[in-house]
Order: sequence, then C-alpha cells, then structure tokens
Amino acid sequence: MDYRNEPHGMFFMIDNKSFYASVESAARGLNPLRSVIVVMSEADNTGSGLVLAASPMAKKLFGISNVSRQYEVPDDPRILVVPPRMNLYIQENLKINKIFREYVADNDLFPYSIDESILDMTKSWRLFGPTPEIVARRIQLRIRRELGLYTTVGIGENPVQAKLALDLQAKHDHELIGRLTYETFPEKIWPITNLEKVWSIGHRTAAHLQRLGIHSMRDLAMVNPYELRAEMGMIGAQLFALAWGIDRSHLHELRPAKEKSWSNSQVLPRDYKVQQEIELVIREIGQQTTSRMRHHRQQAGCVSLSIGFARVGEADDGRSGFHHSCRIDPTDSAQTIIAALLRLFRQHWEGQSIRNIGVGLSRLNASRGLQLDIFQDPHRQIKDERFDRVIDELRDKFGKTAVIPASSLMPGGTMLRRAALVGGHNGGNSFD
Amino acid sequence: MGGIALIDVQKEADLIYVRADKLFAAQWHCQYRIDVVHDQYAQTTNFFMDIQRKGHRERSIPLHTLQTTDLEILEQVIGALKIQTQLSLNFINFGHVRWPESQRWVR
Repeated sequence: MDYRNEPHGMFFMIDNKSFYASVESAARGLNPLRSVIVVMSEADNTGSGLVLAASPMAKKLFGISNVSRQYEVPDDPRILVVPPRMNLYIQENLKINKIFREYVADNDLFPYSIDESILDMTKSWRLFGPTPEIVARRIQLRIRRELGLYTTVGIGENPVQAKLALDLQAKHDHELIGRLTYETFPEKIWPITNLEKVWSIGHRTAAHLQRLGIHSMRDLAMVNPYELRAEMGMIGAQLFALAWGIDRSHLHELRPAKEKSWSNSQVLPRDYKVQQEIELVIREIGQQTTSRMRHHRQQAGCVSLSIGFARVGEADDGRSGFHHSCRIDPTDSAQTIIAALLRLFRQHWEGQSIRNIGVGLSRLNASRGLQLDIFQDPHRQIKDERFDRVIDELRDKFGKTAVIPASSLMPGGTMLRRAALVGGHNGGNSFD
Repeated sequence: MGGIALIDVQKEADLIYVRADKLFAAQWHCQYRIDVVHDQYAQTTNFFMDIQRKGHRERSIPLHTLQTTDLEILEQVIGALKIQTQLSLNFINFGHVRWPESQRWVR
C-alpha cells in the first residue's frame, strides 16, 4: 500500500477512564483506579436501576459492566453505590477540554462525547516534548494533578488510527497510552479476529463479514475492495480503508447535516396500555420538541412519530413498533403539531402496549411570521400564536416547570419528573 | 467561586441537615454517617450521606458542596450542623490539622 498521498498528521484521542465513576471517586477523596464504585441511575424508566458507570476495580472484581441492571450487581458491602450527577460530569468535561485548549488551538479540538475528545496535535505537539508519547504523558499528568482523573490516550497519524490505538491498545497499556502509525498498523491490528472490538464494526456488520469469509482484520485488508464495495456498498469501501488505517476525513471541514431536524424520545417508566395516557405523553413530547424548534425561530413542514412496543411481536406481524410521518403546512404551533401527531397515532395504533415514544420535526424553514389559514378564525389563530410565545418566555425565565398543562398531573404524565433530569438521568442537587 | 463572604453558615448547615434527615430512616443493622471530604481538586468541601446496611452494598448520596476549603468557615458549618444532628461525621483527606477555633484535631 502506498501511503505517501495519505494525510500524515498527529492526532490524540483522549478519553477518561470510567469517567462518571472516576469523577465520583475524586469527589469522595478516593483513588479512581482503586475504588470499587458503581454509578447507578434510579430514574423511573430504568426499571429497578441501571449501571451508568463502574470503576475499573468494580469491573475487575465483580465483573460489573456499564448498562448492567441493578439486580445483576452483587449485594456486597465492598461495593459503593452512588447516584449520578449529570451536571457535574458536564462541568468536569468542560474543565478537561479547557486544559486541552492549552495544547491545541481551539479549531484543532474536537469533543467527541462526554468523555472523549480528538486533538489535532499536528501543528503543536513539538512545542510540548520530544516525542508524542511524552507529550501525551504530560497531558495525562496535568489532568491527574488538577482534576484527579486518569485519562487514556490513543495516538495516530489520522483520527481513525488514534481511535483504534485508544480502544485496542491504550486501554490495556500500563501507561494508558497507545500509538499506531501506517507502518505499525498491519502488525498491531491485522491479527485481531474479534471484529466487533474494532470501532465502527457492530454485531451485524461482523456477522455479514463472517458470511463473506472475513474472519480477521488481515482478511479484511486482503479482500478485493471493489468486490467488497459491490457486496456492502459504501460501508464496504470504508471498512477496507479501516483495515489499512486510512482515514481521509478533514475534521475542520465538518459538513453540516443536509437537513436538520428536531426530535425527542423517551423510554417510558412502565408499559403504557391506556390510549389516554399514551396520548398524554405524545402531547408532552410534542410540546417539548416544538418549543425547542421555536427557540431557533423555525417551523416544521413534516412531523413524525415513532412508537416502540413493550415486547417484540406485540403486533400480529412481529413488528417491534412503527414509525410514520406526514406533511403539514409549515407551522410552529404546538397545537397543530400535536394534532398531527395524535392523528398519526390513532391511525396506526392497534392497542399494543408501549414502552418507547419519539417525536420528530423536519422540513424546517425559518419562521417569518404567522401564515393565516382562511378557513379558521384569524383572531383565534393570532391568539394561539401569542399564547405559545408567552409560555415559551415564562419557561425561559422561570424554568421548564413554571407553567405546565394540568393534564401533566394526570396518571401517566412524565414531564414533571423528567424536567429535573439531564439526558434522562439525575442531574444532581439543584442548589449545590 | 471563592466568594467566602457569600457563604451563609446557617443556611449551608440547614441544607445539609434537611437533605440528610430525608435519607435517615432508623433501621436495625444499618449505619449512617456523614462523610466530609476535603476536595483538593475542586477546592471545595463535599458532604455525602453514607448508608451501610449490614451485608449489603454501601451507598453514598451527595448532600451538598461547600464552595470553600477554609477551615474557619467549615468549623462554623460543622458546629451549626452538630446542633441539629447526632449523626457521626467522618472527615476525609484533611490531613493532620486542628480546627482554628477549638484547636481540637480534625477527625
């Protein structure tokens, strides 16, 4: 393979070792690598409780993994269980990224998730040490000293190499640093036979590759790329590039999504069977999504509704849910959007019990003013519009629960309890 | 933060007490304790309710974060808290220091 024309940069992918559990350990004066700590969410919709994060020791001693269920965690006095504080983790993440900014220009820092960031160190790494490993070590020590957290660093010549170095090497390395280059890629990556361990290869893709007789990264690298592309489409070409450690993405030129949309979804705290209760939650989510859209001064020309059944096969034909959308005259009125959602629901729901509801708004355009409908009372329409605006303003000023529809107090409403959550989990004490 | 003058000792102690009291249910074979942690990283003092039922998982629930590590203020907060609750306090990561006012060891 001729790598001369491929991008040769210096990328660091840095993640926090068991981030939530480490933050909680540090706050309690415990060492994140030695403490046996489990962050467990007891939000309504997690059933008996869901493990959001487990410290490395908890994983090692008790085999607890993230997304374990409460009942899977042994009832052992050596385990310390703590509730999540999502707001605290967001703050810590901001502090970490602030430290990163001292090593790269703002434009070269790409936060990837709540505990992972990509640093394009191509231009700046030489300022901080003689080798990339030494620079990585410096950053690690800095974060350890200032925040008490351990970080893992993957180093590569492009983002995908950095990511694989992080996932496959650094996490098992004593110093928590891993490095891949075009040159070492075949030696380090090709022997991998458990393809699902490799970033971007999921369960189904791995099975598909197995069917094609591809059982290792070496097999993947040796396959004819044109045949693979013919079999798997675009993904085939991407996988072939992955096997050779090639990544031509330009992070600086991230393309905005072609068509933006707004959506919200939630897992319900129990199975919902009563039409009235389900519709209540659809209303609440519709309200929430519309309000987010209105904040961006947009209106939607298409609404969609996703419903997930409580059990697969609840429907006669074995579907696990349904997803339907319909066009509407562009609007930002919650009333109109909710009416469309309920229409969709009533058309397609056949009495199944439900565990999952999602609402999407798309075909957006800037809302310039109110388009009056000649078939309806204009005063009524203007009044509705003003009503929505006042509600938005009240909520901006006094919080999401400042005004709520009385219906949210009825059985089944989830809005009040969810208002205090961040990403569906406990945000922490409000006045802290 | 660091706005030491902004800290209302009584209010802080009340908040910790109210939250701790909600979590306290006198049960057999169950130890309750308030952990007071000197957080050198965030420069705060963190309070947690530690609940340990015999033979079960230990639980630690955040009560409050005091935005200072100043021992003088902390001594006042602890003093105000002790008037309200009999729960034992466990001081973590304070090192070998004395309270500025009473000159007793912090422990």
